Amino acid sequence: MSDATVALSIRSLGRIPGVAVMLALLLVIFSAVAPGFLSAANIANVLVQSTILMMLSLPMTLIIMTEGLDLSMGAVLTLTSLVVAIVSLATGSMLLGLAAAVLVGAAFGTVNGWLVAVLGIPPFVATLGTLGIAQGLSLIVSDGQSVVGIPRSVSEVYSATLAGVPMPIVLALLCYLVFHGLLYHTRFGTYVFALGGNREALKYAGRSPTRLLIAVYALGGATVGVAGLMMTARMNSGHPTAGLGLEFDAIAAVAVGGTSFERGNGWLPGTVLGVIAVGILRNGLNLMALPSSIQVASVGFLVIFALFVDGLRGRS
Amino acid sequence: MTDVTKPALASPRAFVSEDVIQVFYRLLAALVICVVLSLLSGSFLHLANILNVLRQASLMFFIASGLTLVVLTAGLDLSVGANVAISACLAGTVIHQTGSPTLGVLTGLVAGGVIGLLNGVMVTALRIPSFIATYGMLWVLNGLTYWYMAGGIVHGFPPGFRQIGSGYLFGLPTPVYLLGAFLAIGTIFAQRTVWGQQIYAIGANPVAARLSGIPVTRRLIMVYVVSGIMAGLASIIFLARLNSAEADIGESLTLPAIAAVLIGGTSLFGGVGTMFGTFVGALILTLVLNGMNLLQVNANWQPLVTGVIVVLAVWLDMKMRRRT
Amino acid sequence: MSLALPVDEAAQVSAAAPPLFELRGISKEFPGVKALDDVSFAVWPGEVHMLLGENGAGKSSLMKVLCGAYRADAGEFFYKGEKVAIHSSADAQRLGIAVIFQEFSLVPFLDIAQNIFLGREPAGFIPGSVDRRKLLADAKRVLDMIGFDIDPTVTVDKLGVAQQQMVEIAKAISQNARILVMDEPTAALSDHETELLFALIKRLKAEGVAIIYISHRMAEVFSMGDRITVLRDGRRIGELRPGEASPDQLVRMIVGRSVDMSYPRNFAATPGKVLLEVKGLSASTGIADIDLVVREGEIVGLCGLVGSGRSEVVRAIFGADKIMSGEIVFDGRAISGGPDEAARRGLALIPESRKSEGLALLRSVGDNLVVSALARLFPAGLFDPRRAQRVADGLVQQLRIATPTTKQAVGLLSGGNQQKVVIGKWLAAGAKLFIFDEPTRGIDVGAKSEIFALIDRLVTKGAAALMISSEQAEICHVCDRAYVMREGRIVGELSRSELTEENIVRLGMHHE
Repeated sequence: MSDATVALSIRSLGRIPGVAVMLALLLVIFSAVAPGFLSAANIANVLVQSTILMMLSLPMTLIIMTEGLDLSMGAVLTLTSLVVAIVSLATGSMLLGLAAAVLVGAAFGTVNGWLVAVLGIPPFVATLGTLGIAQGLSLIVSDGQSVVGIPRSVSEVYSATLAGVPMPIVLALLCYLVFHGLLYHTRFGTYVFALGGNREALKYAGRSPTRLLIAVYALGGATVGVAGLMMTARMNSGHPTAGLGLEFDAIAAVAVGGTSFERGNGWLPGTVLGVIAVGILRNGLNLMALPSSIQVASVGFLVIFALFVDGLRGRS
Repeated sequence: MTDVTKPALASPRAFVSEDVIQVFYRLLAALVICVVLSLLSGSFLHLANILNVLRQASLMFFIASGLTLVVLTAGLDLSVGANVAISACLAGTVIHQTGSPTLGVLTGLVAGGVIGLLNGVMVTALRIPSFIATYGMLWVLNGLTYWYMAGGIVHGFPPGFRQIGSGYLFGLPTPVYLLGAFLAIGTIFAQRTVWGQQIYAIGANPVAARLSGIPVTRRLIMVYVVSGIMAGLASIIFLARLNSAEADIGESLTLPAIAAVLIGGTSLFGGVGTMFGTFVGALILTLVLNGMNLLQVNANWQPLVTGVIVVLAVWLDMKMRRRT
Repeated sequence: MSLALPVDEAAQVSAAAPPLFELRGISKEFPGVKALDDVSFAVWPGEVHMLLGENGAGKSSLMKVLCGAYRADAGEFFYKGEKVAIHSSADAQRLGIAVIFQEFSLVPFLDIAQNIFLGREPAGFIPGSVDRRKLLADAKRVLDMIGFDIDPTVTVDKLGVAQQQMVEIAKAISQNARILVMDEPTAALSDHETELLFALIKRLKAEGVAIIYISHRMAEVFSMGDRITVLRDGRRIGELRPGEASPDQLVRMIVGRSVDMSYPRNFAATPGKVLLEVKGLSASTGIADIDLVVREGEIVGLCGLVGSGRSEVVRAIFGADKIMSGEIVFDGRAISGGPDEAARRGLALIPESRKSEGLALLRSVGDNLVVSALARLFPAGLFDPRRAQRVADGLVQQLRIATPTTKQAVGLLSGGNQQKVVIGKWLAAGAKLFIFDEPTRGIDVGAKSEIFALIDRLVTKGAAALMISSEQAEICHVCDRAYVMREGRIVGELSRSELTEENIVRLGMHHE
C-alpha cells in the first residue's frame, strides 16, 4: 500500500463518526435523563415506530443526492394510507389496497420527476405544489373523515411477527436491503451519484439524466405507497391528515445521517442512523413528558445543526 | 468566441419596465376572474362579499409583503406563518399582563425582528440554504409557541386596540387602510431606497452585486430582519382582528403567502417582482378561493387548487423569463 | 483491450507507414473570427506531438474538432489512410480519440473503478446490477497498464488533481483510445507528479498510442516532444523536430505576426503620483509575494499565460478574495476588507466574465449603470429614479452605448456595449483605479479600439488602469509598463522600451 492510500483511509474515517457520535450522545443523555429509556421494550418500541420514517427517508436520501428535495412525501403518505384503507375496505383485499397505494404514490412521484426534470421547476416548488394536490385529494377522498372498518388483513401487517421479529421491522429491513442494493450494486445507483455529482458526465456517457431523475422520484413515490400500507395498518384506519409533515423528519434524518445537499454524496447507512436518532429524540423527549411541541422544536434544531455541520464539512 | 455587434432588439419591453408589464397582465387576470365570478354567482358583487375579499387579501398580503423582499434576493422565508403566531401570542400576553397596547405592539415587532435576524444569520454566516434554515426555524417556532401557550388562548383586548383589526373608517375596514400603508411602505422601500435597489441587484446576480461594491451580507441580513418585522406587524393586525391568539394561527398562513408571492410574479430566482404584484397575487388567490366558496365547492378542494395555481404560476413565470 | 506490440521508437516515424490520424485543410469559423484556417496535421502511432500556440491560436478549437464537440466547416479526416468523418463525440470515441480536458468529467463520490467505466459497467447476474468484482478487476487491469498504483475503490473526491488526471487517462485507455489529446497536463502537477506522468507517457508511447500534447513549457516541449507544430491565428505556421530549432526560434514562430492595430495612446511624459502600491501580497488562490505599483495617468499591464495567477492578483487587490499576507495601499491609505470597501475607496473591477460577474443580465442598462454609484448619488438613502435616469442617459451618450433605451435588458446588448456598461457603472461611481481583466475578450475589432480610446481618455484625466490581457500586441501598444507573471509570481517588469511581445512571451513561458 502506498503512502497515498494509507493517508486516504485515515481521512475516510473522519466521515463516519458524525452521526454515530450524535447517536451515542443521544443514547447516553436519554438513558440518564429519561425514565425507562433503556428498557428492551422501549428500544423495540422506538425501532418499530421508526419504520415508517425509515421508508420515507431511504428514497429521500436518493432524491437529496440528486440535489433535489421531495416536500410532498408526507401528504402523499397520507393519501396512499387513505387509498389502502378505501380500496381494502371496498375489495376486502389487503394486496389490492397495497397495489393501489403503490400506483398512486408512483404516479405522484412521476409527476414530481417530470416537473423537475422536464419543466425544470425547482424541486422545492414542484413538490410544494404536489404537496397541496395530495393534501387536497386526501381531504376530498375522505371527506375529512377517518376511514374505519378495514379488513383485519391490513392491521395484521403491523402486528404480525416473523420469527419473533415484528413485521414492520422486517419490512423496513427489506426496504433497506432493496435500496442498498439499488444504490451500491446497480447501474441505476451509480447514475444517482452522477446526477448529483456531475450530471454532464452522464451525458458524455450516453445516459439520459432526465429519465433517470424521473425514475428516482417515481421510486420515492412508490415506496411512500408501501409506507402508506404500514401507516394504515398501524392506525387500523385511514386518516385524512396523519402523516402530514413527516417529510420534514425524513429530511432531518437524511441530513443528520451525513448526506449532503449538494455534490451528490449519499450515505444510506447514515440515513438509517439518522432515522434512529430522530426516533430516539422523539421517544426520549416523550418519556420525559415533554410536550410534542418541544419534540418538534428539537427536531428543527437538529436539522439546522446538522446542516451547519454539513456546511462546515463541505468547506474544509 | 466573439460576437458581432447585434442590433439591439426594440420591443415594448424596451420602453416600459418589465415589472410593470407583469403586474398589468396579472391585474388583467384578476379582472377576468371578477367578471367570470360575477356571471357565475349572484352574490359575488354584493358589498359585503367584496369587502370580505379585500379584507382576506389584505391579511394574506401583510404576511406576504416581507416575504416578497426575501424572495427578491432569491431566498425563501418559510417561517413567516410561525413568526406571526409566536409574535401574536407574545404580544397578546404582554398586553394582558401590562395593559398597554403600545408595549404589545413593540413586543410583536421586536419578536418578529429577532426571528428575522436569526434567519438572516443562518443564511449568511452559517451558509445554510434559506429554505432549509427557515423551514427549521418554522418548526422551532411552532414548537416553542405550542409549549409557551400550553394549549391555552389569550384573548380579550382593549377596544381601542381592536380597532386596528376590526374597525371601520369611513365605511372601509381598517385593514384596507393598513393595506394601503403596507403597500406604500413596501413599495417605497423596494423601489425608492438605495437598499431596495441593491436588493434587486443582489437577487438578479449576487456575484456581480458583490463585485459592484454592494455589501451583500449586510443587505441579506437586513432583508430577513425587515421580513421578520413585517411579520410582526402582521401579527398585531391579526391579534386585533381575531381579538385572540393561540398557537395554531400560523399554520394556514405560510402556504397562501408563498402562493401570493409566486402568483404575483416575483421570481424564485430573484431580482424580479414587486410589492404590488404580490398584492395582486394575493387578490387572485383570494378571488379564486372566494369563488369556490360562493359556488359551494367543497372546501377540501382548496389546498389542491392552491397547489395547482402555484405550480402553474411558477411555470408561466419561468417561460416568460426565458423569453427575455 | 488489446496491447499493441511495443514499437521501436526509432522506427516510428518512417515516412512509408501512413499516419495513424491525419487532418487536412480543417477550417472552423465562428461569427467574426476564424478559429481554424486550413490546418493540416498528422500523428503517427507512438509519438508525442507537441502543439504550441498563444491563447486564441486555435489549439482548443482543434481539440474540440478532434473529439467531435465542434464540427469542422471544411477539411477532411483520415484514419490510417482512410477517409472518416467526425460528426459527434461517439464518432471520435469509435476512432479511438480521447481528449483529456482541464476540467475533468469525473463523479466525485463514485470510486475510481466506477468512474472509469461510467456508462459501460459490466453487467451482473440480475438485470441492471453491476458485477462489482469484474468492475474492480477490469479497473485494476487498466490502472496497472498505465502504472497507476492505487486502490480502485477509493472515491475520486479524495484524489489530488494529478491523480484525477490519471483516472481520466485510465478512462480514455479503457475506451481503447489510440490517440490521446492532453491539454497542459502538467499545469497543476508538482515536479514529482510530472515525472510520473512522463513515465506513463513513455509507456503509452511504447504501446503505440499517439499523444497530442498541448503545452506552454519549453522544457517539456523539448524533452518529451517527438515533433512540434505551432499554430498562430488559426493557421499552422510550421512543424519541426525538437532538434531543428531553438526555444527562441519557437517563440518567434508563436508570436511573430505583423501587428496592424492602431490604438492611439497619449503617453504621459512624466508619471503621476503613486495611486496603488502592493507589497508582498499572497493569497490562498495561489499567488505569492506580489509587489506592484500603479501611478496616476498610467496603464499598467499584467501579462502571463492563462493560469499564471493574473486574475487572482487583481481579485485579491479588489478584495474579492481573502489575502493571506501582504499589504495594499491605495491613495496613501492601507486598504483591507471586501469589494464594498474597495469600491468605496475608488477601485473598480471590470471582470473577465462580464456576463456572470459584471452585469445583471436581466436588469436594464440603466439599472446596471447606476448600481455601483447608488450610495454616492443618493447619500440620504432615497433613490430618485429620475436622477438615476439622467445619470444613465448621460453615460449612454458619453460612452456611445448602442441601445434603444436605458430600459433595455442589458443581456440583449452586444459584447462591446455590455463592456461599456460595466465601465460606465464605475465611471458613475467615481472610480480612480480601473482594473481590467481581459477587457476586449469576445469583442469585435471596432468596439475594441473604442474601449481602448475610452481607457486612454480616463487615464489622461488622472485615473489609472491595471490591465490583464492575453493579447500581447494590445499590451505592447497600450501600456506604459507591464508586469509578467508565471505560476503565481511576478517574474519581471518591462518598461515601455522593453515592452515587446517577444519579451512578454519569453518571460512568461520559460520553465526553470
